[in-house]
Amino acid sequence: MYAAAFDYVRASSWSEAVAQLAELGEDAHVIAGGQSLVPMMMLHFAAPSALIDIGGVDERTIELRDDGTLVLSALVRHADLEHSDVVAERVPMLTQAVRQIGNVRVRHRGTIGGSLAHGEPAAELPCVLIAHGASVHTLGPEGARTIAVNDLPVMQLMTALHEGELITRVEIPTLTDGQGSCFIEMARRPGDFAMVNAAALVTCDDSGTCTAVRLVLGAVGNRPVDVSPEAQELVGHTIDDANSEAVAGAIAAGAEVIPSSHAGIEYRREMAGVQLARALRGASEDARRRRSGEAVTV
Amino acid sequence: MATDAHHPDTSKLIRLLDAVEGPDAPVTTPPRPAPARGPLGRTSPVPHRDFVEKVAGTLPYADDWGFPGMLHGVVVRARVPCARIASIDVSEAQGVPGVRAVLTAADIPHNAISEEASGLGIEQTVQPVLAGERIRYDGEPVACIAAESMVAAVHAAGLVDVEYEDEDGVFTIDEALADGAPSVHPGGNTYVAYHSAIGDVDAAMARADHIIEGTYQTPRVDHAYLEPESGVGWVDADGVVTLRVSTQVIEHARALAEILKLPHSRVRVIAAYMGGGFGGKEDMTVEPYLAALVWKTRRPVRMVWERQESLLARQKRHPFRMHYRTGVRDDGTIVAQDIKILGDAGAYPLLSSRVLFAGGVNATGPYRCTDARMQSTAIFTNTVPTSAFRGFGAMQVVFGYESQMDLIAQRLGLSREEVRERNFVARGDIRVTGEPIETECGTRECMHRALQELGELSAPTRGGRVGRGFACSMQPYGRSMFFADRASAWIGLEQDGTLVIRAGVTDLGAGQAASLANIAGEILGVTVDRTSVHIGDSHLTPLTGGTFATRQLYMSGNALQKVATLLRDKLAPVACDLLGCTESELEWANNLVGVAGDRARSVTMAELSRTAEARDVMPYVHDTYHAQVGHFDPDTGQGQTYPDYTHGCHAVDVEVDERTGEITILKYVAVHDVGRAIDLQRVEGQIHGAAAQGIGYALSEEMETEGGVLHSTLFANYLIPTALDLPDLTAIGLELYLGKGPFGARGIGEPPIGPCGPALASAVQDAVGVRMHRLPMTPERVLAALHTGRDDSVPGVTREDT
Amino acid sequence: MTATRGHLISISINGRPTEFAVEPNLSLLELLRTDGGSPEVKLGCGEGVCGTCTVLLDGEPVNACLVWAVQADGCEITTVRGLAAEGELHDLQNAFLDHAGSQCGFCTPGMLLTVKWYLDRHPAADREELRHAIAGNLCRCTGYTKILDAIEAYRDLRLKDGDGH
Repeated sequence: MYAAAFDYVRASSWSEAVAQLAELGEDAHVIAGGQSLVPMMMLHFAAPSALIDIGGVDERTIELRDDGTLVLSALVRHADLEHSDVVAERVPMLTQAVRQIGNVRVRHRGTIGGSLAHGEPAAELPCVLIAHGASVHTLGPEGARTIAVNDLPVMQLMTALHEGELITRVEIPTLTDGQGSCFIEMARRPGDFAMVNAAALVTCDDSGTCTAVRLVLGAVGNRPVDVSPEAQELVGHTIDDANSEAVAGAIAAGAEVIPSSHAGIEYRREMAGVQLARALRGASEDARRRRSGEAVTV
Repeated sequence: MATDAHHPDTSKLIRLLDAVEGPDAPVTTPPRPAPARGPLGRTSPVPHRDFVEKVAGTLPYADDWGFPGMLHGVVVRARVPCARIASIDVSEAQGVPGVRAVLTAADIPHNAISEEASGLGIEQTVQPVLAGERIRYDGEPVACIAAESMVAAVHAAGLVDVEYEDEDGVFTIDEALADGAPSVHPGGNTYVAYHSAIGDVDAAMARADHIIEGTYQTPRVDHAYLEPESGVGWVDADGVVTLRVSTQVIEHARALAEILKLPHSRVRVIAAYMGGGFGGKEDMTVEPYLAALVWKTRRPVRMVWERQESLLARQKRHPFRMHYRTGVRDDGTIVAQDIKILGDAGAYPLLSSRVLFAGGVNATGPYRCTDARMQSTAIFTNTVPTSAFRGFGAMQVVFGYESQMDLIAQRLGLSREEVRERNFVARGDIRVTGEPIETECGTRECMHRALQELGELSAPTRGGRVGRGFACSMQPYGRSMFFADRASAWIGLEQDGTLVIRAGVTDLGAGQAASLANIAGEILGVTVDRTSVHIGDSHLTPLTGGTFATRQLYMSGNALQKVATLLRDKLAPVACDLLGCTESELEWANNLVGVAGDRARSVTMAELSRTAEARDVMPYVHDTYHAQVGHFDPDTGQGQTYPDYTHGCHAVDVEVDERTGEITILKYVAVHDVGRAIDLQRVEGQIHGAAAQGIGYALSEEMETEGGVLHSTLFANYLIPTALDLPDLTAIGLELYLGKGPFGARGIGEPPIGPCGPALASAVQDAVGVRMHRLPMTPERVLAALHTGRDDSVPGVTREDT
Repeated sequence: MTATRGHLISISINGRPTEFAVEPNLSLLELLRTDGGSPEVKLGCGEGVCGTCTVLLDGEPVNACLVWAVQADGCEITTVRGLAAEGELHDLQNAFLDHAGSQCGFCTPGMLLTVKWYLDRHPAADREELRHAIAGNLCRCTGYTKILDAIEAYRDLRLKDGDGH
């Protein structure tokens, strides 16, 4: 397990990191947790000429703004999310998702920014963030901009980030009244790469009728897909076995499924349908519990 | 430090953990806990040294110990599955700064790994240490390199320039057996074919009320021990090539000497405590490359294989395709068995002749049958060679014969227990090889106990369907008797009454070394904390044969029992003299020898030892235990095979998710008749561990290839069970009927790996009504079977065949 | 070859601070096993999945094989040998001995650190929680049952003693 030689520098701020990246050239790379990058280097799939360590450029803060938006530094680690009460309360799908990432050691290094920038189709967090309509703030040689998370993944290991552009912050609209959510990951063993990710966020009125639904399917194609449009027929109805299966089945039938070493294409297509339906029902049930004031543990 | 020919400069042999503390700092290892701790065995409430060091983190494994300035070795591997080597150019690799050797086939003095593995005179196809002409599997070694740093070695490896000419290969058993198929080796793709028969199978089949047929498939799996293949080699001051490696077999020193064309006395193998073996370190791994690099450079060399390299290219378990035809009466009595086994040997034989032998002669399982026939064949393919793995052929067939028993029960409308009760073997019954079973068989009792322990059917936990299943097995322990197995040991009392044992066992974590101390303690009364066991050195410890075939307790345990008893008998007259009693009154316990029933009359082992020596009765013994010898005729398929068997039964409740095919184990009980348990806690540990591997084999582990290329070489993609994939397993070692090990013990290392697959398949059938014929029972395969009502996943079998 | 890119770093290993001159492409695992004098930290897979390289970095469990040594500059590393004073055994280690939680022992150093870290934070964790806690530490020998028995025995001892060590 030996990677090719590289230069190493530490950045003390985001702008310094951007400047160093521009200066060191296109073979330079940033590193934060390194849980995706370092294995690639060890297996000789990546050979950066230089690593700019951004692990300490900010305080890894998690903040809830008055408008209900959760603001995370891109350097917030999966373990930080896992143990955060405000996340469990306001974006419970994030807590559900982050528990399933890798193992306890990976979670103490891996960052949300790193996960988003890496572009792994089986990653959990992008699905949750897309369902919540989250966005990222970036800083690059041309300045700062905002990108909706849904616009970030392009395909396997490729994102819409420009050369030298870094994710600095993630902003997530949190659960509002009437909403419930459910994230389901299907993997061969706990912590393994996902075969199917399903994230559902529903809004229901006091009678349990669904008034809005957000649904995201991940890990089967080469990027997570916002399939909310195909779920709109649930609006105006109470989500039940029949309609959730029907919607999920139709989505699965039309989904793009790429080959994987974990299972065959048709099986994963079928599982997409099963897990999307379960996520929808789970979100509806979560909304019901919150509506009725029942204690909800994530 | 002064050195001479007899005292090599050991100042160079540092333990790496001295590096920070300094050469003068004593290496302190924790003391053994006081004897008041909880029991670990009848005479040893104190844990053996190696377990203390394991929890302390101070045990030096093969890569934890080396030399300053040692070179780093790597193997360069072909990445094509079947090709001719047109040319090899190592000039660029040799030019890398820090590289000290780049070896290819031409540099190996005798470029052959060969041993007559079968014990029956079957010719062993030669496997080169480094391929020079043909590549027969993806990952086959073509060169090895030693350099001053790992980085330089890896860099140089990438510069070895090999020109390949792709050739057509055969990648499955069906392809290998097809007419006109390319040959992996001259002489065709059938490597060895065994056959045995008793009675008149065809006539008996004709008389049967029903003939039940089934075809079953088991996977190619990896040992996945956590410690990689590793070791350090050097040439000592006497010119002896010495390797300290993670290995199950120190006797490979002879093969290494042959490879280097050195006298056997000039090659020495030391076995470090292994971080797992399971048969994957039974054949050589790093040894030939390490030895060659050491011999070429005359410098210490270290080699550790990468996990991905190990998954790619190190030997695996034989996939078996088993076809059973069983003739039965209406009442379920078996009247005829006709069994055909095809095993995928991969590109080179290694131990295939023994694995297919073991599978074949055990294919009828613990069921009586007077008219039976078996054929067991090893087939070459252009895939990674297959060889030893816990269970060794006899575990694959458990899936065959237990699946058949359930199928018979289903077809005849009988219960699964009833069908087995009607057919269980007993002492005296004749096997397909014509030999009688020599000890009592406890299969029935194990079955009853396992089902009883399960209790009431478990409740579902996630909305799935619950089912219960079980499977019995009969797994041999000890080597085939025609190997005339032997194990030697040396035992001696020091002047202060402490005990030293020297035996060339290798320890793969199952307490091999510890059990020797326990056995000696049982006989001589010297406690474990006053016993030192030296193991695993081909020059300094008497050879005991390798740790495999669940033979180590049987062989070295018996050897220890023998030498300890001989020592006791040798010293007894001296003790009698000192105590004024007869031999029958002597009691050996707690580091004393005394008169039974009279506490005041005793002498210490120290006094006994010194007195004996003064009288020229030397207080040590070196002797050899010879296993029962048998003879087998491969032409007739008749003769003696294994000395004895361990019987068992596993029972399990599962829950099947009918939407996803996922299987959850709710409750699992494993029961085996172990004869006599030397250390019950260790016995349970073996049952837990083997069953865990068997469950992984049954549900998730598989090395899938296409065109001879693995789908993935990542450890992340090789699915061994985590703590969340296994339930708490109830492991029960019954002491029912004495076996042939020391004190009547039966081997337990391998037997618990066999019944898991069929027990789980039985439970899945009970839960959802479909029978899986192929392992692993992945969710995808289970779901497909649920959709169609049958398992169609066995390759080479069409609907019409069954 | 390229010019040396040596960095001088300071790492504290089990309470002992030391300076090392390292190349950036030296993993923390490799440093610990060589100049760091800590071969008790093992290499099992190099991918971060097996857990044999578990160390506590500033008190948190990480994969030493996936951290560059330069990234650990200024950090405190705890290995299994930091659980108790040299020459002694921690109660957790004794529990593993009592309950045969170790067979080949290769997973044991990483397993012990993970368990200690988890129980320090969740001293009353039940068996199912503990099973989750060790899900990322692979063992090929024991089937985990006796490991969990050992952990529960240690947990109960700690709760009884009340001084949480």
